[in-house]
Amino acid sequence: MPVVDLELVKNLYKTPGAARLPVDVAPRFKAGDAVVARNINPPGHTRLPRYIRDKKGVIENDLGVFHLPDSRAAGTGDQAQHMYTVRFDAREVWGVEAPANDSLRITLWDDYMNPA
Amino acid sequence: MSSDASDGADAKTALRVRALESLLLEKGLIETDAIEELVDMFENRLGPWNGAKVVARAWTDPAFKQRLLQDGTAALAEMGFDTIQGEEMVIVENSPGVHNVIVCTLCSCFPWAVLGLPPVWYKSAPYRAEAARDPRGVLREFGTEIDGDTEVRVWDSNAELRYMVLPERPAGSDNMDAAALAELVTRDSMIGVSKVAPP
Repeated sequence: MPVVDLELVKNLYKTPGAARLPVDVAPRFKAGDAVVARNINPPGHTRLPRYIRDKKGVIENDLGVFHLPDSRAAGTGDQAQHMYTVRFDAREVWGVEAPANDSLRITLWDDYMNPA
Repeated sequence: MSSDASDGADAKTALRVRALESLLLEKGLIETDAIEELVDMFENRLGPWNGAKVVARAWTDPAFKQRLLQDGTAALAEMGFDTIQGEEMVIVENSPGVHNVIVCTLCSCFPWAVLGLPPVWYKSAPYRAEAARDPRGVLREFGTEIDGDTEVRVWDSNAELRYMVLPERPAGSDNMDAAALAELVTRDSMIGVSKVAPP
């Protein structure tokens, strides 16, 4: 078992583990694309929140390439995918009682979406 | 928190922490200077005073503000805030027509580098559920009323990305310098559950 010493703690503070990947992968979507979040219910870890599944949104911007958390957590190998800021109208998610102006921003990986 | 019940709970927690600390030390799993470093990190170096400096600078330095909104991670690195849980930062700006609020519906993701550790309510199930579903109602509980014409934008920190709100500069602060302005900026205003009060 590794001992938590001063150096380890200093490295923790100064050189954090970024999940961004310096690799070139083709994006499936671009800003302005209409998308629908997939309705998946994996037994393991996912960062696709349940409340957004099957809801329609619009890609706001491409954030670059990141590890897909699902496959990392499952131990099935690293997958590099584009991650996007996706806008969902509050009414699309919560229904007609939600204020017309309001919206949510969620970060979604390529695998979490289909073209709408 | 000064009730007897919470004092009791605090005392119990302190006792448990001391017991864990001595066990870890006895077993040689952690070193004393590493503990001191961890405590110093979270007590003195990671906290909302960092974010307050960023906000005050953005209010007084338009070129910096532009860089901050364009590439939050790089702009924060200029100020030395490229540290733990600030690896990928996006700064979202409040304006007369847009009010931003941050939540982590899946767990408790929070921008430690600029705001420190999250408050207990931020990690609680009611905040995580309600901030996404009814942000205006949650804001009202914090005493923040957002008019109907303003768009409320909820940012769910569900990925390897941390958000910070750049609140609106309050009225009556025109003659204040960055150091004085930083004193006005609260943690809650950078989460987006409140506004910065006028001086």
